[in-house]
Amino acid sequence: MKEATLRQILVVTDGCSNAGMSPVAAAALAREQGITVNVIGVIDKGEMGEQGEKEIREIADAGGGLYDIVYPQQLAQTVQMLTRKAMTRTIHHVVNKELKEILGDSAMDVLAPEKRVQVAGMVDELGERSRLDVVMLVDTSGSMKPKLSAVQQAIHDFSISLRSRSGQSRMAVCSFPGKQKHLDVRIPWTDQVDQAHQLTSGLTMSGITPTGPAIVEAIALFEHVQLPAPLSDRYRAEAEDDDGSLRDHVF
Amino acid sequence: MSSNKPAIPDLPLQFCGKWNQKSYRVLRELGRGANGAVYLAAQGGVRRAVKIGAEGMDLLMEVNVLKSVQQGRDVRVAPLVSDVDDLVINGRTFTFYAMEYLEGEQLDRYVKRMGTEWVPILMIQLLARLEILHRHGWVFGDLKPENVMVTHADKQVRLIDFGGVTKLGNAVRQFTEEYDRAAWQAGDRRADIAYDLFSLAVMAVRLSADPEVWKSRRQEPRQTGLLCDIIRNSDSLYPYRVSLVKAFHGKYASAGEMRSEMLAIVRERTTGHRGKQASDSAGKLVGGLFVASLLLLAGTLYYAWMM
Repeated sequence: MKEATLRQILVVTDGCSNAGMSPVAAAALAREQGITVNVIGVIDKGEMGEQGEKEIREIADAGGGLYDIVYPQQLAQTVQMLTRKAMTRTIHHVVNKELKEILGDSAMDVLAPEKRVQVAGMVDELGERSRLDVVMLVDTSGSMKPKLSAVQQAIHDFSISLRSRSGQSRMAVCSFPGKQKHLDVRIPWTDQVDQAHQLTSGLTMSGITPTGPAIVEAIALFEHVQLPAPLSDRYRAEAEDDDGSLRDHVF
Repeated sequence: MSSNKPAIPDLPLQFCGKWNQKSYRVLRELGRGANGAVYLAAQGGVRRAVKIGAEGMDLLMEVNVLKSVQQGRDVRVAPLVSDVDDLVINGRTFTFYAMEYLEGEQLDRYVKRMGTEWVPILMIQLLARLEILHRHGWVFGDLKPENVMVTHADKQVRLIDFGGVTKLGNAVRQFTEEYDRAAWQAGDRRADIAYDLFSLAVMAVRLSADPEVWKSRRQEPRQTGLLCDIIRNSDSLYPYRVSLVKAFHGKYASAGEMRSEMLAIVRERTTGHRGKQASDSAGKLVGGLFVASLLLLAGTLYYAWMM
């Protein structure tokens, strides 16, 4: 593990999906391709419906990630914490796998806690130095509207967290549902998000929440994934164009 | 309201560690944080604080930090770890660790009971702790009243939750927005000495300010100008304004530097009355000297001009 890249999709939503394929299956597909899926449920007050919470939990489980349900004002902090914990987990799994090859099955169980403390220190350090690519997938269906300013704040805040890491980090922000596709790329891959960025401008408000299809399309944003031609045409080219113009902008 | 799964397990009333075979009797729960729950327990006739969490790796990282901080032989900064072990609850293995139990009061409760004039003194104590931590290459990160305790026995300030402690130069592992430099738009989240000093300064303001004022201004966007406003209107904070503002802007190179400046102000204020009289007469003396030197200068010029 010299220059490993950790890849994550972070879904920010407030309810159940209601269109297209199952988001749980989509998350399983992402995980299959080395992408962890985390989910944050945002609620105004009271509780998220039982159904909504169940779906969120299942998406995170299938995607090998973590989930949390929070109020809008807790969002920024939760994004950072969930991302870091999910990174730790992924690295832990990899380290565990390597240890298993050396020590045989149930490697961590045969290691005394004192030894595992040393492993933990190593995992922590690897987490800090690894490359990290995160796609934030923001549900912008009608009911999310009042929470979008908090989401926008969280996006900016998250970019500060990423900038503070030692390892290279990039993020991209997408909203779903999109105008023509299931998602719109709002901020292409970048290592710095301008605070003035308006998430709310030019949004298509609708009652459709195609979480599953959006996750599948978000997978296409990760360059390491082999894509079927139609998806590849749709996203790769666009992503590269945007990347180019962004580079001009930054440097 | 926040439900981070898998959930933090409840400790059984009586348990024994799998590896080290130390047995514990749980007395009561002390508190729950982001990473786990802390219980008060008795082990071999000694009271210990036992922490258990949902994610073993997170807990082990904390132990890793606690142990490296303890390698120094200085004044103790972190609670001593006495045991790290596993325990099976309902067929699942969880990791836990035990540390010395510090009997005391959370910082904000202590200030509430004792009065805000204690704040500068407590901050000065805290700065001494932080300086040691920094010297060993660590930044505390999640500095807030909930993570600081004043011990009953010797009225010493102690840091208690090490979940946010980060190696200098890395990204801060855990933070609370209210005390976070980035959330106040005053910098990033890279763990440096100034990050801790920033949190400390916000904490000083928060502890001294009228709780109503602090609460009412919470809705405003977080900018250090807001903090300066509160300082300007607070009699107890105003004398320390220079130190606090310097901390907001990352102007201190070390905790020790901030500490000695605050200490000087405390000394000046405790010797306040006498000091003021002395400086008044000194002022007169200086004033007199100044007039004398002006006359002398005028005389010289006049002389030179005449020549």
